[in-house]
Amino acid sequence: MTEKLRFFIEDLFKDAPKTKRAIELKEEIYQNLTDKYNDLISEGKTPEAAYNISVASVGDISTLIEDLEREANMSGESTENTEAKKRSALLVSVAVMFYIISVVPVIIFGELGYGLIGVVMMFLLIAAATGLIIYNAMTKPVYKKKDETITEEFKEWQREKDSRRAVKGAIESVLWCLIVTAYFIISFSSGRWDITWIIFLIGASINGIIDAIFALTKK
Amino acid sequence: MSIASDILRGHTDGIILARLCKKDSYGYEINKSIQKITGNTYELKEATLYTAFRRLEEAGYIVSYWGNELTGARRRYYSITDSGREMLRSLRAEWEESKRSIDKLMDESFDTDN
Repeated sequence: MTEKLRFFIEDLFKDAPKTKRAIELKEEIYQNLTDKYNDLISEGKTPEAAYNISVASVGDISTLIEDLEREANMSGESTENTEAKKRSALLVSVAVMFYIISVVPVIIFGELGYGLIGVVMMFLLIAAATGLIIYNAMTKPVYKKKDETITEEFKEWQREKDSRRAVKGAIESVLWCLIVTAYFIISFSSGRWDITWIIFLIGASINGIIDAIFALTKK
Repeated sequence: MSIASDILRGHTDGIILARLCKKDSYGYEINKSIQKITGNTYELKEATLYTAFRRLEEAGYIVSYWGNELTGARRRYYSITDSGREMLRSLRAEWEESKRSIDKLMDESFDTDN
């Protein structure tokens, strides 16, 4: 008959999330039910009567299950998280806007005959936009661990990997913007276009060093 | 009878905290002691009991741990904390207060006109 109680409990929890807390609660209620059932049998009740009384004593656990579900979902979609998402969207939009309008000074100052100022302003805008993207990637909320299940741990691990990649990508894009800026400024001011291309080689080696640092500090 | 069990359900927190004052206990034991104290008249539904456990644990009034029985399955024990004892005191005071008010309200000789 305790088998039957087991089936009853499993059926009761069939919609509950598979979290540690839910499983513990199920075991706890099952344990109490078998205790009650055994007591009723020793009082002289028939197995059927004891089963029915035990099952009737459970009551409506739907709110408990809802609580467990809410708890399981909280790790993904808390209000705190949506706030952060909004902020992140704003930062990225502003950055993209900067990228788009960065060509405007080149056109305007080019018409006026100050091409160099236009180019410098373009790169300043690009640098600002890239800075925003880096800031966004670095301050993104980290995944909060709610329950120590394997899937949760996997999600967290993946999140960590993704954020590292994003930071690295952002740093490298800023690096290349600065290199191009330096190339134009140095070339325009010195007029040594024949030799200034070497800046790109220096840039490539700095990029390689960043790659190496990220690879070595990987956990 | 149904009014009494409603009142009882409304004071689940206080009842559980009071049961845990003497010693740590588990769900079924608490429910059995409620039955015994009330002369087999009342018992809490498992659902009510566990909802209360969760609420009390989240609020920090009780803590739980798995016992290590030598025989049979393991049980989850609950233990009252200091803030739980404090909560029980204020719940008890609250109950005394409402008991007094209801006594007066149900007393036909009580007259507000003079």
